[in-house]
Amino acid sequence: MNLFISGGCKNGKSYFAQEQAKRMAEEKNRSLYYLATMIPTDEEDQARIRRHVREREGWGFTTIEQGRDILGALKQADPRGVFLLDSVTALLSNEMFTASGQVDFTAPGRVKAQLLEFAEQTGNTIFVSDFIYGDPLQYDALTEAYRKGLADCDRALAWVCEQVVEVCYGNPYFFKG
Amino acid sequence: MERTGGSGVPADGILNMKLIIGGAYQGKLDYAKEHFGVESVFTCGRDLPQLDFSKDAIYGLEDFVLACVRSGVEAKDYLMEHRDELEDQVIICTDVSQGIVPMERELRDMREMTGRAMVWLAKEADCVVRVFCGLGQEIKGKK
Repeated sequence: MNLFISGGCKNGKSYFAQEQAKRMAEEKNRSLYYLATMIPTDEEDQARIRRHVREREGWGFTTIEQGRDILGALKQADPRGVFLLDSVTALLSNEMFTASGQVDFTAPGRVKAQLLEFAEQTGNTIFVSDFIYGDPLQYDALTEAYRKGLADCDRALAWVCEQVVEVCYGNPYFFKG
Repeated sequence: MERTGGSGVPADGILNMKLIIGGAYQGKLDYAKEHFGVESVFTCGRDLPQLDFSKDAIYGLEDFVLACVRSGVEAKDYLMEHRDELEDQVIICTDVSQGIVPMERELRDMREMTGRAMVWLAKEADCVVRVFCGLGQEIKGKK
């Protein structure tokens, strides 16, 4: 069963997602993978990653570093396993905004297709995204392109996933399943 | 008859009006087309403090509110004056109530004026749906 999770920043999405992933892997007796999507660029990122790694200790996750090309993760994992992809937000950001400063406007369409393919090939993936659509600000064209692109990925995943959950301060609301 | 808007039974005083809210890019208009049979749409303009009630739906109400701010009109008052024309309408508005208080005065005013208008509209509507990633959550009434 694929599960899509979104919600506001620091609302407990990742913890909820980890619990669901662990339970799913135990019930089905499958391997448990964590798809780490953050590509660190400074000390602040390094510290955040160290904190996340500490928080996952003892959960039984095998971590796969996959900041881009999400289907590449399947070359080093059992596709029948349970995958926690945290987050769609970071994955799209990495694909769209490259280190050289270039912006790839084709990234949203490509990432969306790859995510749908990943969901279909695995069937046991938990996708975590971020709800960044609730303020009145009008951003620059680049930021709006990214927001719209992420929303397209979110909506496509919400459409195919058997369960769709919004986590609000630790409380799940099930839009589907 | 008692007002029973929360239970899904339209009562006296409640309009046959649907309100669809949700964040940006969430698929609110697609939802209106799919679930409420919306075909013709009036799209609000940021410099047009007027609404056209002749279509099935009014889309982008937050832009109408911005136009109201720019021309010194209270959006809720305008809507109250046109209450009868809201019957059989589907109103679609982006939820702009979350996030940081905007630095710009105009957007701050728009955010607050939208809230005042939406609270009134939600009270009058027989159905309020929040759209999240293309999926609907009925927060008042039933489709």
